[in-house]
Amino acid sequence: MISKIKEALICLRAPRVTFRYPLEPMPAPARFRGRPTIDGAKCIGCGACAAVCPPRLIDIHGEGTTRTVELNFSRCTYCARCQEVCPVGAMQCTTDFETATNDRANYSVKVELAAVACQSCGTPFITQRMQQKLMAEFQPAWMQQRNELPEWLSLCQSCRVEKTGMTMGRNIKNG
Amino acid sequence: MTTAQVTMTTAPETLTKAQKILQGIQEKFGVALISAENPRPDRLFLKVRREEIRPITDYVFNTLKGRMVMSIGTDKTPVDGHYEVSYLYALDAEGIALNLKELVPENDPVVPSVAGIVTYANWNEREVYDLLGVKAEGHPDPRRLVLADDWPDDVFPLRKSVPYNFKPPVRDVKPPMRELTEREKKSTIVNVGPFFPTLEEAASFRLFVEGERIIGADYRGFFAHRGIEKLTDNVLDYNQIPFMAERICGICGFVHSACYCMAVEHAAEAEVPPRAQYIRAVMMELERIHSHLLWLGLAAHYLGFDTVLMQSWRIREPIMWLVEAITGNRKTYGLNLPGGVRRDFTNEHCDKILEVIAKIEKEAGELVAAAAEDHTLKMRLVDVGRLTPEDARLLCCVGPTARASGVNIDARKDFPYCAFPDLKFKPAVQHTNDIWGRLLVRAEETFTSIDLVRQMLARLPEGEIMAPVGNIPPWREGVGVAEAPRGECVHYVETGHDNRPYRWRVRAATYPQLQAVPYMLEGMHVADFPIIVGSIDPCFSCTERLITVDRGNANKLRIYEKKDLLAMSRRRTQELR
Amino acid sequence: MRSVLVGIFNLLFALAAAPLLDGILRQVKARLHSRRGPSIFQTYLDLGKLMVKDDQAGANNTIFSLTPIVCFASVLLAALFIPMGGVVPLGFAGDTLVLMYILTMGPLCVCLGGMASGSPYAYVGVSREIMTLMVVEPVMVMSLIASAVKAHSLMLVDCIRQPLGAGPSLSFIICGVAFFLALQPEVAKVPFDQAEAEQEIMEGPLVEYSGRKLAMLKWSFYSKQIVLITLFTEWFLPWPALESLPLRMACTVLKVLVVAALVEVIAQVFPRLKINQSMRYFVSVNAFALSGLMLAVIGL
Repeated sequence: MISKIKEALICLRAPRVTFRYPLEPMPAPARFRGRPTIDGAKCIGCGACAAVCPPRLIDIHGEGTTRTVELNFSRCTYCARCQEVCPVGAMQCTTDFETATNDRANYSVKVELAAVACQSCGTPFITQRMQQKLMAEFQPAWMQQRNELPEWLSLCQSCRVEKTGMTMGRNIKNG
Repeated sequence: MTTAQVTMTTAPETLTKAQKILQGIQEKFGVALISAENPRPDRLFLKVRREEIRPITDYVFNTLKGRMVMSIGTDKTPVDGHYEVSYLYALDAEGIALNLKELVPENDPVVPSVAGIVTYANWNEREVYDLLGVKAEGHPDPRRLVLADDWPDDVFPLRKSVPYNFKPPVRDVKPPMRELTEREKKSTIVNVGPFFPTLEEAASFRLFVEGERIIGADYRGFFAHRGIEKLTDNVLDYNQIPFMAERICGICGFVHSACYCMAVEHAAEAEVPPRAQYIRAVMMELERIHSHLLWLGLAAHYLGFDTVLMQSWRIREPIMWLVEAITGNRKTYGLNLPGGVRRDFTNEHCDKILEVIAKIEKEAGELVAAAAEDHTLKMRLVDVGRLTPEDARLLCCVGPTARASGVNIDARKDFPYCAFPDLKFKPAVQHTNDIWGRLLVRAEETFTSIDLVRQMLARLPEGEIMAPVGNIPPWREGVGVAEAPRGECVHYVETGHDNRPYRWRVRAATYPQLQAVPYMLEGMHVADFPIIVGSIDPCFSCTERLITVDRGNANKLRIYEKKDLLAMSRRRTQELR
Repeated sequence: MRSVLVGIFNLLFALAAAPLLDGILRQVKARLHSRRGPSIFQTYLDLGKLMVKDDQAGANNTIFSLTPIVCFASVLLAALFIPMGGVVPLGFAGDTLVLMYILTMGPLCVCLGGMASGSPYAYVGVSREIMTLMVVEPVMVMSLIASAVKAHSLMLVDCIRQPLGAGPSLSFIICGVAFFLALQPEVAKVPFDQAEAEQEIMEGPLVEYSGRKLAMLKWSFYSKQIVLITLFTEWFLPWPALESLPLRMACTVLKVLVVAALVEVIAQVFPRLKINQSMRYFVSVNAFALSGLMLAVIGL
């Protein structure tokens, strides 16, 4: 009997703790990992986020001279790995958690970036911003050693392989 | 790496515990032992001849008092033409994980069954057959366990030749029933599940009932098996799996991801910074506190005592907000990666943790004190769902279920991981063998955890929280052991190529516990059923390793219309009559 | 004239106010649970929702289909026999025993419907319901008869007026307590709601009901709850004896609220007992009620 009264007292001492959500807002804490977004002004299309995403929701594809970074967060696990690996801070997890919608298109974020063509074969292979970033990082070091930018910065992967192979072949031939 | 030959020449007094055990096995079964590895003092990986597995099992289980943890079936046929079937044992007194591996030739996929020696091996061997197609010869009940009833009989999904997104055609097959005793044939059959109000997840129990009394029970589960172990074969990489592992369970997810990371770190022989170790341990203990409070509420709900449910969850809620503020989510913390943790504690976080656990200590203390004196609650729990220490050992039960039956095992003490080697605590043990004991164990553990968190925060080391693991060479084995709120959680990783494991095996605590449920049900009332199943704090999705919707599945979904469902459910009702 | 008006009021009270009482009890429960809880009109909405939902036809037989109607009708009939403010609307047509019969009809109907549904959960629920009826009904009968013995009449009006004149006697108090203890299983509240235990047998006899039939059964349960509690307050708590009838009726409504809240609080601080445990408990309550009846017979 005493334990019953104790239980009732525990109940009555505690105030009503539930909220009137969704009638009142429930802000999430600062570190909350919510809906991910891509800042189109910052994204360089490097693809780091696509490589780490566990449910593989980030896709980089391209037609012609545009490269599209597409994020569809309908199955997002909200791990924020993309935010962690993004080198320019374009991937951001907001504190927004109310993502229910009637339209699947609302789950998609797209960023279209201009691609540069390979100087040798003409195929677009890298985004302009990516190349600028590479140059900005490599230029000072290269400029100190030689007085020009390395040629491979403007070559696509296959041309780069070909070029390197030819250089190596030439070197071998020349002893 | 210590080979079998090396240990023979070492003098007995300088031998480590693992080497002594190895020597014992060598003396008894010399030729049966093919090779032995001892990569860490607390791990022992043996390869044995499959013909000798029964005597060795007998020796390990009955003489060394080993506790079987799980079986691991690996398809190594693309590598060396063998299937590998391992039994992992925990030698709790010595704190050593002992793995017995048998090589099974591809053209003769059969191993001798050890279910006659260790009752718990029953499910393990059925699982190996279902997933890998290695048959346990002499198994007492070789029904299908893991796979769906309509899965083809000759496709074994864990074989490397089966693609991860293989979809078999739909067939109409009845679930296999077990042999009934004469008495069971005469009894009323009450089907509980697959969907039932107090089974939060899909599971099906067939209760054989005389009046109100249960005389037997049969279990069919694994409805939520989605084969996430298969996904790691060729889809996910080392750094992606923790997020998958975390979603194995909705309550003890952090333990799973930490346990996986520990297994990878062991395999890679990587050092984890001490601060990361402590952060992991603090989060695991916070998880235990909220999980036990959750259980107390659920247990009360099963008894129709919703006031305790609501109050206990009210007391628990601040922890969820706390971890949300620290990690970014109230449940899936996403904190672990092999090599450390992703987010650090700030000083404010530490203060906030201390504040929250002090409040919980006070409030939970009052609630538990009131509940512990409650006469009616005792009427429902004392001597209900009994599990004798002998059965607990044969079924290899772990966690609060085992500790309430007087089996003093706790992975935090026996296999100290993370920060636990530095901490002082006593595992809660009760000898009542019933649900009341399980309640007391969990109540005591809640307060032990609060104390442990205080100890850890008082000595939280400074420094880095992440030391990237780097490249991991293939064919290394790692075992991660951690005490989840429900009991010991074990992850096994064998490393492979392409930055992903060759085999990842998960054993959650509910796996052995569920096998004990039919033992607990016997002789009890139908009214006791929810609380008995609840008393092991079951987590079916843990056992079944649920999750992942494969993108390719979307266009091959079976879609039932309303009238189909209605017709099906009516047919089912007709069958029940 | 007066009894006709009270009759109409009783019907409305049992019919229209019953979901409101349930809504208020939900708030009481929510307060004990430290939550906000739904609005007190939620039960109306719930019933309305069930009314427009499809009937899944869990079983196709007459008994199964008729049960909700008979159950509902029996409760409404009982409402006409229940005193209100000291007036018994249909007092001329039946006495205490008739009232008891009508009140027992509801649970028996549910049992029949449960049996007809054929679900194994319903069977377990029905067997529990019948066991409960077997031990709880005698308590109610003995408690009510004790007053009849003192009043030397089975007429309802005589029975409820007797303690007003003579004051509460020892047997009256004992019977009142026994009746209150029997209220809990009669209105199907924890710890004695084994027959409908949601967690164990999924509302037992109701498991196959859906849509409008389920709504009618639920509604009749709410009505039965208000009818029984009114009976208890009128019979065992007739004070204060006010002059005007509307005041007396208002007073009764208030008392019903208080008693119902008390029943709900008790339900919230107990776990559900097992059927054998509650049987054992009610055997002693029966003995207690019997002692009350004996005392009434010897005039105490």
